[in-house]
Amino acid sequence: MKGITYTLPLIALSVFLFAGCEKDNRTPPGSTLTGRVVYNKEPIGVRSGGVSFEIWQRGFQLFSSLPLNIAQDGSFSAVLYNGDYKLVRARGAGPWADASDSIDVHLSGSATIDIPVNPYFIITNAGFQKNGSNITGTFTVQMVNTTREMELVRIYIGPNYVLDQNNNSANVTRTAPFNITTPVTLNVAIPASLAAENFIYARVGVKTRGINELMYSTSQKVQLK
Amino acid sequence: MKSVISLFVCTFLAACFLSCKKDELLDTSPQTIFTDEQIYKDPKLIIGILANLYDRLPRYASLATGNENFSIFDEGMWSGLSNNDVEVRNNLINYNFDRWRLWDYAFVRDVNVAIDNINESNSVELTPILKKQFIAELRFLRAMDYFDMVKRMGGVPIITKQLIYDFAGDPAYLQQPRNKEEEVYDFIAAELDAIKNDLGNTGSRRQANKNTALALKSRAMLYAGSLARYNNTPGLTMSSTPGGEVGIPQSKASGYYQKSLDASKEIINSGAYTLYRTNPVLGENFYDALVNKGGNTEVIFAVDYLKSQGKRHLNTFNNIARSLFEDGGQGSSFTSPSLNLVESFEYLDGSPGTLKGVGTGSNTAAGQASWIFYDNPQDIFANKDARLYGTIMYPGVSFAGKTLKIQAGVYVWNASANKYDRTEGALNSSYTDGKTLTGLDGPSRTTTFVSNTGFYLRKYIDATAGASTSALQSDTWWVVFRLGEVYLNAGEAAFELGLTNDALTFTNAVRQRAGFPANSLTTLTLQRIQNERKVELAFEDHRLWDLIRWRIADKVWDGTTTNPDANIYALYPYRIVRPGHPDDGKYVFDKFIAPRFKAPRFFRPGNYYSSIAQSVIDNNPKIVRNPFH
Repeated sequence: MKGITYTLPLIALSVFLFAGCEKDNRTPPGSTLTGRVVYNKEPIGVRSGGVSFEIWQRGFQLFSSLPLNIAQDGSFSAVLYNGDYKLVRARGAGPWADASDSIDVHLSGSATIDIPVNPYFIITNAGFQKNGSNITGTFTVQMVNTTREMELVRIYIGPNYVLDQNNNSANVTRTAPFNITTPVTLNVAIPASLAAENFIYARVGVKTRGINELMYSTSQKVQLK
Repeated sequence: MKSVISLFVCTFLAACFLSCKKDELLDTSPQTIFTDEQIYKDPKLIIGILANLYDRLPRYASLATGNENFSIFDEGMWSGLSNNDVEVRNNLINYNFDRWRLWDYAFVRDVNVAIDNINESNSVELTPILKKQFIAELRFLRAMDYFDMVKRMGGVPIITKQLIYDFAGDPAYLQQPRNKEEEVYDFIAAELDAIKNDLGNTGSRRQANKNTALALKSRAMLYAGSLARYNNTPGLTMSSTPGGEVGIPQSKASGYYQKSLDASKEIINSGAYTLYRTNPVLGENFYDALVNKGGNTEVIFAVDYLKSQGKRHLNTFNNIARSLFEDGGQGSSFTSPSLNLVESFEYLDGSPGTLKGVGTGSNTAAGQASWIFYDNPQDIFANKDARLYGTIMYPGVSFAGKTLKIQAGVYVWNASANKYDRTEGALNSSYTDGKTLTGLDGPSRTTTFVSNTGFYLRKYIDATAGASTSALQSDTWWVVFRLGEVYLNAGEAAFELGLTNDALTFTNAVRQRAGFPANSLTTLTLQRIQNERKVELAFEDHRLWDLIRWRIADKVWDGTTTNPDANIYALYPYRIVRPGHPDDGKYVFDKFIAPRFKAPRFFRPGNYYSSIAQSVIDNNPKIVRNPFH
């Protein structure tokens, strides 16, 4: 009798546990969608955690978007189930003009796509060097879409690769208007907190008036020692 | 065994006999539920419905709901638990577009149902006068709710009737598009004009009366006016949609300001309220003006709490200074007011409120060069606007008869380095000279449940014994409208209309109560008005909405590490240890970005209007999205 009292719950429990494995779990999504946000085949740098697109899929009761977060170098990756998706460049999401067309994405296995955008301004040929106690950035600002004015350019420095409006140790702004037909030079003093580092990172951004986000250059390493 | 069978038979038989009464049973009227018919014939039950709706009025930051929203802008920061989900209030990368979203149609529907039912009721108890009054009150509540929606979402569908589905398979006729933003503000104004004379409740501060309706109109029209004016400022990000769901034409600004001014003047000239001036100690007086519930002449409308009825809140438990916390050990000091706010309080001679003689906290000779050695810690705040004392507890002040122990550490003279060396200790510790090293109230750089900025809240903190325990809690009321705000509304509206003399009169009245001499301002700028509202209405859920309507939120909170407005600053007091020197035992102050504050406040242009939930758009494709999302 005693044996039964103890073993019965045990058996019941193990039945529950094993049965549970069958019922509760679905296969996780396994297909990867990767790509970059590009203009002229060049990636557009953005603020880390600041810009996202929307992924939509029709045919299910719950119709809601999945965020597709864009990394600071303009790349993205998402793990999804196979299927047909619509990729929407949400209005006002990034430093580019709104595009109302969605992009069809057929995912079977994995896919890499480049999402073209139409930025207002882009930064090219950015270079940084140590100049005494300053970091000097030289770059070219190019107007791509003439419908909006430039508001400012800003140089950022910091100890980490992730560098933007929210993450930086020092920054210097030059407010428009200024001449952008020739390369622009911006100096930023190295703050005390960075003076002891062997190397730091630097980056420049351009802001369009009336647009949330800045367009950034690539984050570049600058040797201090 | 036999007995078991007989018991079973008995039960079975009993069940059979009982079931014979089933017709009667089904006809029994329920004892726990009221039908609509029963409710809407009894004025007492209708008051119950009103009470429920008053309680459900949306509040973004308040004593009970949204208490944490006091620590996510520039009035204060979070000093409570350091779990990531709450510590994030100091590390917000940006404000989510749905952070203050509100789509409160359950409330609107409940009001519409109540209005329809009262209209249809033909009970004798519900006299035509009562009916009119109830409907007026319901329409006031609906206008309040619409104001809260329009200030967060822009134009929303105006629904004034119950929407009833006909089960014909096509719900399209129930899908209402968004009204224009200006239409919603016009609707609020028209509703309030229509009902203000039907509202009874004269003298009530808990139920709406004519002056409450005017106070809402004063605020709503001021918002509409500034939206019309500042959304279109050149150089600013313009938030608008082609259909006008958001974005009010600039030409409407003066009309709205005029309506606001008229409503404010009607309250001020009615003589029903006066600025609270009962306590001759001006700082205490300003504190009393908000918490004193007996004979308060200033408060127009408040959400009241009453301990004896079990209606209470945890604001004092959450936010009282650590040494005054009565619930044992740690657990309080959630919201720490910022130095930014403290410095916004001007000196009584009208000079800017920047504190004098503060160091940088770098622990170097250069960082100590600008120190002024103060005899008492409170001396640095001398001759400041009395509202500072009424709003914030700073080093050296007392509350409920107890002096706060705010001291971050000591600075010991180091003759060889020719500078002072900083020492900080654990809370409530003593230095080797037997005097305080670090006070029980901190500030501390890393300890939780103690101020991180060096300041504590006084406004709305309850001095009653037991108020900071979780068992007893507090029943201070939450002031929604008060005369001080109406004066500032009037001042701002008059200023925007070019009536500078009126604007000065109204604004100076509020300043005079705070200890400034009569006519302390002789010229007025928008920045002056903005600062006046910041200090008078701090921690009263105005700051966010004010910055939004002036369209400066994205400039003030621009997310830049180098922008002093976007960062929260702290002020740490230290005692000087230098035996034999005249400065020994004096106090110095260091100012720096609060140690637990990591990410500058970042308000994006897309935050000016909240995003609309996807489920709302799915259900009603006529809903247009807001700009930037």
